Amino acid sequence: MGKKRNKVVVLSSSDDDERHRHRHRSLSSTRPPSTRSKFSSSTVPRPNANPSRSKKPRLSDSTSFLFKDDTSDWDEIKVFCEDFDDTPIGFKVSDGSGESNQKELWVDKYKPHSLEELAVHKKKIEEVKLWFEERLGSSKDENTSKVIVITGQAGVGKSATVHAIACHFGARLCEWNTPTPIIWQEHLHNSSAGLRYMSKLDEFEYFVERVRKYGLIPPTENMESKESIILLIDDLPVTNGKLAFERLRNSLYLLVRSVQIPTAILVTNYGEADSGDHTTQYLEELQSSLENAGACKVAFNPITHNSTKKILSRICRLEQCKVSVDQIDLIAKASGGDIRHAIASLQFFCVKPSLAHPISSPNRPIMDKGFPLDFGRDETLSLFHALGKFLHNKRETENVLESVGDEFSVQERLARLPLKMDAPEKILCQAHGQARPIVDFLNENVLDFLSEEAIDDAWTVASYLGDVDLLLGTFRGMLARRNEAENVLQSAAASVAVRGVLFGNHHPMPSRWHVIRRPKLWQVEQLSLSNKKEMIKRRYDTCSGMSSSNFSVIATEYTPVFKWLGRGTHESLDSRIDMMSLDDQESVVSEDEIEDW
Amino acid sequence: MLWVDKYRPKTLDHALVHEDVAQNLKKLVTEQDCPHLLFYGPSGSGKKTLIMALIRQMFGASAEKVKVENRTWKVDAGSRTIDLELTTLSSTNHVELNPSDAGFQDRYIVQEIIKEMAKNRPIDTKGRKGYKVLVLNEVDKLSREAQNSLRRTMEKYSAYCRLILCCNSSSKVSEAIRSRCLNVRINAPSEEQIVKVLEFIGKKEGLHIPSGFAARLAEKSNRSLRRAILSFETCRVQQYPFTSNQTIPPMDWEEYISEIASDIMKEQSPKRLYQVRLKIYELLVNCIPPEIILKRLLYELLRKLDAELKHEVCHWAAYYEHRMRLGQKAIFHIEAFVAKFMSIYKSFLIATFG
Repeated sequence: MGKKRNKVVVLSSSDDDERHRHRHRSLSSTRPPSTRSKFSSSTVPRPNANPSRSKKPRLSDSTSFLFKDDTSDWDEIKVFCEDFDDTPIGFKVSDGSGESNQKELWVDKYKPHSLEELAVHKKKIEEVKLWFEERLGSSKDENTSKVIVITGQAGVGKSATVHAIACHFGARLCEWNTPTPIIWQEHLHNSSAGLRYMSKLDEFEYFVERVRKYGLIPPTENMESKESIILLIDDLPVTNGKLAFERLRNSLYLLVRSVQIPTAILVTNYGEADSGDHTTQYLEELQSSLENAGACKVAFNPITHNSTKKILSRICRLEQCKVSVDQIDLIAKASGGDIRHAIASLQFFCVKPSLAHPISSPNRPIMDKGFPLDFGRDETLSLFHALGKFLHNKRETENVLESVGDEFSVQERLARLPLKMDAPEKILCQAHGQARPIVDFLNENVLDFLSEEAIDDAWTVASYLGDVDLLLGTFRGMLARRNEAENVLQSAAASVAVRGVLFGNHHPMPSRWHVIRRPKLWQVEQLSLSNKKEMIKRRYDTCSGMSSSNFSVIATEYTPVFKWLGRGTHESLDSRIDMMSLDDQESVVSEDEIEDW
Repeated sequence: MLWVDKYRPKTLDHALVHEDVAQNLKKLVTEQDCPHLLFYGPSGSGKKTLIMALIRQMFGASAEKVKVENRTWKVDAGSRTIDLELTTLSSTNHVELNPSDAGFQDRYIVQEIIKEMAKNRPIDTKGRKGYKVLVLNEVDKLSREAQNSLRRTMEKYSAYCRLILCCNSSSKVSEAIRSRCLNVRINAPSEEQIVKVLEFIGKKEGLHIPSGFAARLAEKSNRSLRRAILSFETCRVQQYPFTSNQTIPPMDWEEYISEIASDIMKEQSPKRLYQVRLKIYELLVNCIPPEIILKRLLYELLRKLDAELKHEVCHWAAYYEHRMRLGQKAIFHIEAFVAKFMSIYKSFLIATFG
């Protein structure tokens, strides 16, 4: 976080600089400095060479982090800053022992220091602890692997766990710190001075090489011969492209095979929703290659709702701020298992009303209504989850809103019970669904969810899906110029599709286990395209280029005749059909099976 | 080589059917400059045969030396360039292609190729500047934009090239294009004419054709000469010497569709609908055009249907056929038709038999 130079430095006007300089130390150190040692190369400026310069970005960044979502409330921000400046308290280096100061991020302040404070599930902690215990205790047996890979989404306490365990064993934690990025001007300066540019990946490889060969040599000044060491690799270098990734993988592989110190590698999983890019694939590949090399893998789950709530209320107690249980509940829910996010939200939430009491009072009722808080995460759903909701079509058993609007009474056959879910459009939004694939999926699967007798329903659904096809086909070929219209059409089409399915499926099957199939249509389209090319080619071959014919004629008249005549075409076509009906693709497709939601 | 290709008349003089049209065309090109031409008529009536013979008449035997090419055009369409791939048949004097294969980008193809032809005009032996002939198949399947751009380029480049357009139904060709062309209607050959052609081929191949067999073939062919010759050859492979009551093998996809139809009649449920969908997928994989599937399916269903329902079923078939043309994915609409049919038929069964 501190690495980025954020633009929001506007917050602190120039005359604040003096005071900032005084305070920088309180805000800076995120971790107890004694447990870290640097392994960065010489090109990196030492962080304490010029404190006021290197720390300021971090300060401004931390404030901007708090206010990221709330750019409109400039007044409040100013108030916040002034307030910051008005309370001059001298701080020591904060070692997180619980000194009450409002200026520190709670995330750092309430950083867990013992195993009991961790919000991670007990069993997982135990697993990791046992692993370290074995490695730290008896370093004699050479066969056991020395690497543990801890995975989990952001903010589930991976680093915190390792730190706490290191504390617990009294081990020194040595960390690979990604060197600071070099900006272009610096690079120009360096290269004119004769320094060669080293990519982060190069440096990482170099580091791994060194660790493998020589182990870690602790800095001499406070050396105790008996102190054990844990190596922590928190921040893997970003790799772009296959080549770089191969290099990273190889160097990690070698590390796993030959390192002598217990090592923890932390890998952050990104949510399914972001799986569009290649990084997730790469990360998965990386994990499996590490495991193959013999590393032990522990996956951390998102922090449970209850433990998040527990932590939050503990912080509230310590900070003596009044936050109702409901609000804590809401924050915990919004965090989605990300404890860091939850704590930051809580701090933001607590800071706001006390600072700008008169201004923010109108905001309160909105919050109390349980409106989505402005610091929540966006909820996301996987596509399969959303499809499952639509296909299963859960409804209330009786109409609650029955006698509300008599003037709009709907005919018996058109009336449906209220849905047991959010508005379909909202679900679509959360699933990031494109209209076309959603329609294809619905079309492929919906018939399984209709009851045996309901052929009328099948027709209703089919005709709605046909409507969607028309909508999507309207502007084909003119997409580039009419983006606006295209977007509206897309969402309208998706909405029609989903609502059509929900409405049409009047007599749904009693819910049971279903597997969602991938649309066969995609496969069919591809096959028919390749078949088409082949047919045209064959036709030209046989008539030696005398004439071309309409394609439909080739397909419907010549091809069957070729088949009858058996001119070498027989096998290829039949085998193709066989391939179609084997259905081998189908079973592979969806591991995301859907049970009853 | 298939008999269809082998016994295709090469010159206008050898035409076995439509002799009168052939003679007129011959007079047209020998006496004066040829206008743009639009051939239309049902499938299997001999449009392509006439066109090829006509080109031969214009340019002599060199027109028969054709090469098949898979060409790619780079078209500059405003902000981006589009790559279009299309198969063309060309000789020194003519180019033949199916622009509708390019899908909705067909309009670029027409413009681009005509421009290109205009650039390199052939010069004949006497030093006169000649012209090239562009044969466009399936003009009725061109989009409206493509037809418009075709009209414009027709006017602009008429000095450099002659267009010969070929389609099944002239009603789908825009008025503007039709009025700029000489329209030539090619009727489907009568059954007697087909019998005559079959007997001609039989004589050439040295086959004995029992009486009535050729007539049966002609009748089965639905007045499509191509179809008749193709099934004639198939019969030859299946069983020779011919007997007059020999079975004429139907097209495999037609059988498959009638199978689907009987499936639909037997059971009407979502499950059966799903099975039907899988079968239709199989037809689509084998490139049977969806319009033909729908048409044939309707035909098969009507044969088995109570007269009372025919009207309604036809209505829905037309409805979904129209939507299929507007939409992108045919299977949605075919399936909707099948579902509607099942729904109608089921309620009919319940009403009649309780």
